[in-house]
Amino acid sequence: MVFSTPIFMFYFLALTLFLYYIVPRKGRNVVVLCASLFFYWWGERAYVAIMFLSTAIDYTHGLLVERCKARGNDRGAKLAVTSSIVFNLALLCFFKYWDFIAGSLQSVGLTFMPVLGIHLPIGISFYTFQTMSYTIDVYRGDARAQRSILNFGTFVTLFPQLIAGPIIKYKDLGDQIDRRTCSTEKFASGVQILMVGLGKKLLIANNVGMLWDSYKAMAPSELTVAGAWLGVLAFTFQIYFDFSGYSDMAIGLGRMLGFEFLPNFNYPYISKSITEFWRRWHISLSTWFREYLYIPLGGNRCSRPRWMFNLFVVWAATGIWHGASWNFLCWGLYFFALLMAEKFLLLKPLERAPALVGHVYTMFFVMVSWAIFAIEDFPHLGSYLKVMFGLGGVPLADGAFGYYLLCYLPILCAAALASTPLGTALYHRLGARTQQIVCTVLVAAGLLVCTAYLVDGTYNPFLYSNF
Amino acid sequence: MSKKFSVLLTVLFCAFIGSMSVISLLLPDKDFLPLENRYPQKPPKLSAESLSSGKFMEEAEDYVSDHILGRDFWVAAKAWSERLSGKKENNGVYFAAQDTLINRVDPPDPAKLDKDMGYVDALVGNVSVPVYFGLIPSAAEIWGDRLPEGAPTAAEQSIIDQLYFSTGASTIDMYGALAPHKDEDIYYRTDHHWTSLGAFYGANAIFEALGLDPIDLNDYRKTTVTGQFNGTLFSTSGVRWLPPDQIDTYVPDQGIKVTSWFKGVPEEGSLYADRWLAEKDKYSYFLGGRQTLCVVEKEDSDGPSVLLIRDSYSDSLTPFLTERFSQVHLFDPRDNLTSVKNYVEDNGIDLVIVLYSFANFSTDQNLFVLAR
Repeated sequence: MVFSTPIFMFYFLALTLFLYYIVPRKGRNVVVLCASLFFYWWGERAYVAIMFLSTAIDYTHGLLVERCKARGNDRGAKLAVTSSIVFNLALLCFFKYWDFIAGSLQSVGLTFMPVLGIHLPIGISFYTFQTMSYTIDVYRGDARAQRSILNFGTFVTLFPQLIAGPIIKYKDLGDQIDRRTCSTEKFASGVQILMVGLGKKLLIANNVGMLWDSYKAMAPSELTVAGAWLGVLAFTFQIYFDFSGYSDMAIGLGRMLGFEFLPNFNYPYISKSITEFWRRWHISLSTWFREYLYIPLGGNRCSRPRWMFNLFVVWAATGIWHGASWNFLCWGLYFFALLMAEKFLLLKPLERAPALVGHVYTMFFVMVSWAIFAIEDFPHLGSYLKVMFGLGGVPLADGAFGYYLLCYLPILCAAALASTPLGTALYHRLGARTQQIVCTVLVAAGLLVCTAYLVDGTYNPFLYSNF
Repeated sequence: MSKKFSVLLTVLFCAFIGSMSVISLLLPDKDFLPLENRYPQKPPKLSAESLSSGKFMEEAEDYVSDHILGRDFWVAAKAWSERLSGKKENNGVYFAAQDTLINRVDPPDPAKLDKDMGYVDALVGNVSVPVYFGLIPSAAEIWGDRLPEGAPTAAEQSIIDQLYFSTGASTIDMYGALAPHKDEDIYYRTDHHWTSLGAFYGANAIFEALGLDPIDLNDYRKTTVTGQFNGTLFSTSGVRWLPPDQIDTYVPDQGIKVTSWFKGVPEEGSLYADRWLAEKDKYSYFLGGRQTLCVVEKEDSDGPSVLLIRDSYSDSLTPFLTERFSQVHLFDPRDNLTSVKNYVEDNGIDLVIVLYSFANFSTDQNLFVLAR
């Protein structure tokens, strides 16, 4: 099930909230667990078995790690952690990368792995990373093992962030699973954040997404230079508002149930360097890779070649995490190259240069990266990039470009403004009373307008089926 | 956030989603969505099979969306919102000048057109009578100057020219017949069909291709049968701010016998079916709407007997055709998969016309029937 559908908003959510607040406090996790399992089963049916399997295996491993540690058996604890990591990675690799690897091998003539045509279980990249964090956190002593399998199941399946993140580490959530406070204040702030997320997804992301789809579908000969850039700009906004919209919805829904999730995006498009961009974009993924991959590899406390190798591994992994396709690997390594260039060369001059230079530089490379991200087919990607850089032998602009620009200009301007903290800053400068009025009007209007787009939702893509 | 304000927001949100879900559930199921001109999703059937295939979930999601409280309001609100945000289209329909809605026509797949033209040519070879082929350009082409500046749409005229150039059938110049009259009301403003006036020009294009005398509009009296027609584009676009269309007729329903096969058995029909004027789908006034086969016979006519391989544009065209043809057989390949060749031989047909609107021809999947 996807958040931005009428059935989720008016039936699933309404019923879940109702049950959650009428059962006794200690029954709440059971309600969340059942709702989450239903949520996953609705979209993925038989794959809901993965939820049970994951819960059972990681639950046992967590206890095992803790018991070994209590007995001072570090070897046993390490073994248990390794076994749990192997299980989670095996799950991820089988469902996500088997066909990719088999297909790639076959294209060079090696046919020992058959292509199985596996349907990718939605959200698998998110939840396997979460469950992996659990045994590691227990081993590191950052969290205590969960005694109750129901509570642990609630952590694994928690529906607000199950299918599109944010990736929550067990140490940040474990205590809340056991004990959390629900209050009207928390619920109301959840409503606000949910509305922001819904608005981002339905009003901005879906809208500019149609523009990108028009350009993505064009043959290279139909493109124009300006049109290709307009298309990429549209995708730039689509991916940000879609993804951060989902994160906001997750955070908002979480608050309604009493959970506090860490923010996942922090205005990435106002960055003045790629380094800064990655501190602001998909924060939960970057911190996950830092804590569970980069630092264990040795981080930067090692020789320079080793440090570069560590970064290379992290960015290759980040790339391929986004989808089992070569373009995602290229996308990750593209950022590796840029970050290297910044560390050795560009960061200092960028700091000294006027802010505008940093902004233009960052957005330029970010937009090019989105082209690599969005077009999986290499020949198509090649010709699209050629057109963007004026090498496609096509005109600068045409009538269709004018039409699309005119149609989408208001939305693109709104998206640009909403990519900056300006709106929030203005809101915070209002008096308390005015804030309340503005907020009430926005929530009410948001409910009405979003419902209109939910009901007549002819275009409502889910972008993370690759992840 | 103060406690009082939190309570207000919480109540606002819960009351909204709660009442939307409860009232939607309590409302009686609708059989038809008149404004959108379509049947809503029926309640999903619960079975092990529908659950494991996911059919149940898909149907349940559509069911919820189709039966939600105030659906018509939300659809209209979304169209308004798109318009206010500067968009010049919604759900694939352009907001064109002069209060007109125009369907976007996507460039057709050349391979599909090639295949379909193969079927047309196969028909030419299969039957011993002459075969004529006509493509009716859509409003997006003829009324291109009403479209928003630069709005993308298929280059229909040049595609039609190419298809005409390569086919073995004789061709009917519909573009040449309609384009000079683009300042007249030859298409509906809220529907994708041509009006009776447009069909009149179309009929003369057919007569000209066949070497028959043209008919003269001055010989007819125009009758407006309704001024409250909101067509298919009204339905899909969600646009509710335009005045409705009017439906006119020219040819009186006299001395004409119509036999319709709506449900596989012949029944008496008529050129104009008054009961449709009370419905949303008023274009079905012409011949009574979609049917497998329809035979229209004109008394005391010595004209040829023609088989028309049709789409719905032919329904408003047929009254004019009765002026020159003794019999018009309307054959719809979407519902009628029998052999065209046999039909021609069994019914004493003198000539075959394959007549499609450009948009239907480029999307129809049943044209293989022509070669049967």
